[in-house]
Amino acid sequence: MKPTSPRGGGSSGRAVNAALGAAGLAAFLALGEAVPRLGLVKEQFFPPTSRIARALGGEITDSAFWADLGDTLTGWALGLVIAVGAGVVAGVVVSVVPYLREATASTIEFLRPIPSVALIPLAVLLYGTELRSVLLLVVYASFWQVLVQVMYGVRDVDPVAEETARSYGLGTWARIRHVLWPTALPYVMTGVRLAAAVALILTVTAELVIGAPGLGARIAVAQTSQAVPELYALIVVTGLLGLLINVGARSVERYALAWHQSVRGEVTV
Amino acid sequence: MRRLLAGIAVGAVLVAASACGSSDGGGASDKNSSSGGTTEVKLGVIPIVDVAPVYLGQKKGFYKKHGLTLSMTAAQGGAAIVPGVVSGQFQFGFSNVTSLMIAQSNDVPVKAIANGVASTGVAGADFGAITVKKGSAIKSAKDLEGKKVAVNTLKNINETAVRESVRKAGGDPSEVKFVELAFDQMPAALDSGRIDAAMVVEPALATVKSQGATEIASSLVDVAPNLTVAMYFTSNQYAQQHPDVVKKFQEATAESLAYADAHPDEVRGIVTTYTTIPAAVLAKVTLPKWPAEPNRASIEALEKLGEQDGLFKSTPDLDKLLP
Repeated sequence: MKPTSPRGGGSSGRAVNAALGAAGLAAFLALGEAVPRLGLVKEQFFPPTSRIARALGGEITDSAFWADLGDTLTGWALGLVIAVGAGVVAGVVVSVVPYLREATASTIEFLRPIPSVALIPLAVLLYGTELRSVLLLVVYASFWQVLVQVMYGVRDVDPVAEETARSYGLGTWARIRHVLWPTALPYVMTGVRLAAAVALILTVTAELVIGAPGLGARIAVAQTSQAVPELYALIVVTGLLGLLINVGARSVERYALAWHQSVRGEVTV
Repeated sequence: MRRLLAGIAVGAVLVAASACGSSDGGGASDKNSSSGGTTEVKLGVIPIVDVAPVYLGQKKGFYKKHGLTLSMTAAQGGAAIVPGVVSGQFQFGFSNVTSLMIAQSNDVPVKAIANGVASTGVAGADFGAITVKKGSAIKSAKDLEGKKVAVNTLKNINETAVRESVRKAGGDPSEVKFVELAFDQMPAALDSGRIDAAMVVEPALATVKSQGATEIASSLVDVAPNLTVAMYFTSNQYAQQHPDVVKKFQEATAESLAYADAHPDEVRGIVTTYTTIPAAVLAKVTLPKWPAEPNRASIEALEKLGEQDGLFKSTPDLDKLLP
């Protein structure tokens, strides 16, 4: 029997979802307006939604804002690309080369939980307030997300398929390409999605703490300038960026895994 | 599809490799680019009112006149600026004097070269003050004994200043409970009663005052009359290798400081270009003083107090540190 989702498939289900999403957002915004207006928190320190919206309007007409947004996106994209590239290669090599996984497992488990933010003094010492400081933190944080997923993915390879490929005389490269990679790809995509979010968090954090140009540095300037509505407007922008990045990563995932059970089986995502 | 993804993966690695390659090459070359007789130098600053003179001097062409093109990099506090200057990311930086003395006593090779900013020297009308909430029972610095007082950085210039205010009011500074809090968070913390008093500077001071808070002491004035609070500095290495550039920077900065000090309206104008201080707040901000030269006697007083409070590993050598 075909499983049916409780909200049904097709366009009517999608409309209901969209309406629910919009209602949730509207309620959230209304709460943000009401709480300071009712005096539950001071307007001076937590401006109501309408005031933040006005500050946001001021920001988007400022060319410096767009330059900072560009800097943040550059740091995010470069960091993510480097982390994904390095994570995939390292993950496959570590998993494929005999004994390498056993030899590196404890080192990886030691390095992985080190918070990237703890490397800020090192980044500042090496690269000052340049983009490279941001990249160091972003790559360090998102690399592990990808690496670990790739390693899980490789471990998930069906031994029968692997043996079959071997008995058909496929070489190492061909087996990586036709057996390992398709198995690992869904894991890789999960890793990329996680890494994309982590990379954004670390980009903004690095800019905020170190002062490298970007949205984070702009938030810090607003903070020291006592410009509270602008501060929240910029925080809203980082939230929106995160949302867009998540939506983007999900659609890339769906596109890349169109052939896979997990995507094919679903009516709507 | 799989081929495409494999291509993307390979492409990503190539981009990563080339990105690393280009950045490796970039570090050394951009240190001293000079074009058409002007030397380009990088200055690490904190985006606050105190550094307005260099922005104004750049705009007015004082640095250009001396053959310098400044590029200001806003960093979050001295923690990013001092390593940046020592490692050569910046040629010059802005830092408070206590931090410079702490750096020197830790054998960090820094050299102050030009005056940065000074207190107004007027008690009750300075750019920094100990403030308490409206209606607080704390009336003087002596009453801070046993109370929670926020400073932006523990064991630094503001803690030294608050301690001196308490001492001068006849209290015991060791009885004060210091907590570390960023200036911008002090207004909210003071208002909600999470701290009893805050050593706050502009523009947060203007916010605090607009909440009806009371100033109980002008701590920077208590340390010494006309206290030199911060200075521009460079690394010993750079000072030795490029005495000519340092000299140009000193001359242009002295000119900029004097100009800023004489033109407060232009200062308020330039501040809006690198901060986002709201106009209503900026109008109420008490501007600091920008004398062209540092005040040696005030720095000696600050050193003595710092030593008394145990900030330094070894006594800072002011003859070596100051210009």
